[in-house]
Amino acid sequence: MMDVENVKPFVSAFETVMPQLGFTTVVAKEVTQSTHLELDGVIIIVGLVGSVKGSVVYCMDLESAKRIVSVMMGMPVTQIDEMAQSALSELTNMLTANAATVYTQNGEVVDISTPTLFQGDHVGIKMVTDEIIHIPIEVDGISIAVRVAIA
Amino acid sequence: MEKKKIMIVDDSSFSIALIRDILEQNGYEVVGTAGTLDEVIEVTTNQRPSLVTMDMTLLGTDGFECTKAIHKIDPSIKVIVVSSMMDEEILYEAKKLHIVGYVQKPVDADELIRSIEQVVAVDELFLFLQDHYFAVFKEALMDGMNRMTKSIITYQDEYRCEKEFQSKGYSIIIGVIGKFSGRLLLDLSEETANNIAKKMLRKDTVGRDEVIAALSEFTNIISGNACSTLNRQNQSLGLRVTPPSVLYGEHVLVSAPDYETMTAIAASEYGLLMLNVGFRRGDE
Repeated sequence: MMDVENVKPFVSAFETVMPQLGFTTVVAKEVTQSTHLELDGVIIIVGLVGSVKGSVVYCMDLESAKRIVSVMMGMPVTQIDEMAQSALSELTNMLTANAATVYTQNGEVVDISTPTLFQGDHVGIKMVTDEIIHIPIEVDGISIAVRVAIA
Repeated sequence: MEKKKIMIVDDSSFSIALIRDILEQNGYEVVGTAGTLDEVIEVTTNQRPSLVTMDMTLLGTDGFECTKAIHKIDPSIKVIVVSSMMDEEILYEAKKLHIVGYVQKPVDADELIRSIEQVVAVDELFLFLQDHYFAVFKEALMDGMNRMTKSIITYQDEYRCEKEFQSKGYSIIIGVIGKFSGRLLLDLSEETANNIAKKMLRKDTVGRDEVIAALSEFTNIISGNACSTLNRQNQSLGLRVTPPSVLYGEHVLVSAPDYETMTAIAASEYGLLMLNVGFRRGDE
């Protein structure tokens, strides 16, 4: 499957979901590819099953995570506590579910798993393939990195 | 399973009488009726119905506001809308509020009962999964260790996972999707991971890529076997697994998801393994 076919659903998901949560601009940067990941900050993994099988990793540094949760909750958030973790998990759940509906519109049936949230520095991640698509996205100037690996 | 306790929310005494007759004739217990937001809160608090039939247009309030109030008291109460109104906007809003069924007025008895029975069936299926999944996954891990590393594990401890925890070194995560979704997470130290990979690959030394490949396959087989067993026990579950992702690092915190998961600690000759697995009820 062409890379671009796995990029569009996620960019489209951000464009649809983020404005509903109080954000105004969504800018997708140039897409690159990598084989293996080493990430810092908040890392959330969501699995995909169906005619598209794989997983999606959302990653942002701690400051960005706090800024995102602050907008979602409409008040300043200073730490990534349970409530903030729940909000970020729900955000990635909404984004991935939305991307799944874009696949569905293209005739692919895709279901998503529940998100799992990790935090750490220099966290190595091996996804299902060595062709990991990296989609950097800026939402109101806050960076969120989306990594998609399709088996 | 005991019969559902039902509350009827409607501001027409005619509709209430009609719905009550249908429910009682089919063996359901009507524990209360309400026509205003205050009454909804009062009956919900005092009677704790397990299911609510909800009219959309009510005096001084509406079905959505009442649904929110009910779920604030108890999010597990199932709400079925019974209303003359049915359009795209209402269905969209209903989905957002986790309303589980929709019956249009005038109420057809068969349709209403079918709608309730569906809710009961999903409830029972989830209870079945909750009762069985942990034993099945533990058995699958034991069997997998036995077959792939020729060793026996013993479970030392098991508990409900409620707090985030520090990974011992490697976390392998696999999503499970079907009628309900959830996840399996296997966590182990680098030393344990290396030992298991050496045994699986029959080698004296292993590189990180080999360890990751071995752990991925190991976890994939365990979760696949466990889900197949559960699907055989009840095929309505339709469980499938996502491909594995492997995380590794010295300081990785794993958050507890906002649904209940169970953890088991297994001792093996290669070191300790932590199995964490759980499913979310979700709303269809």
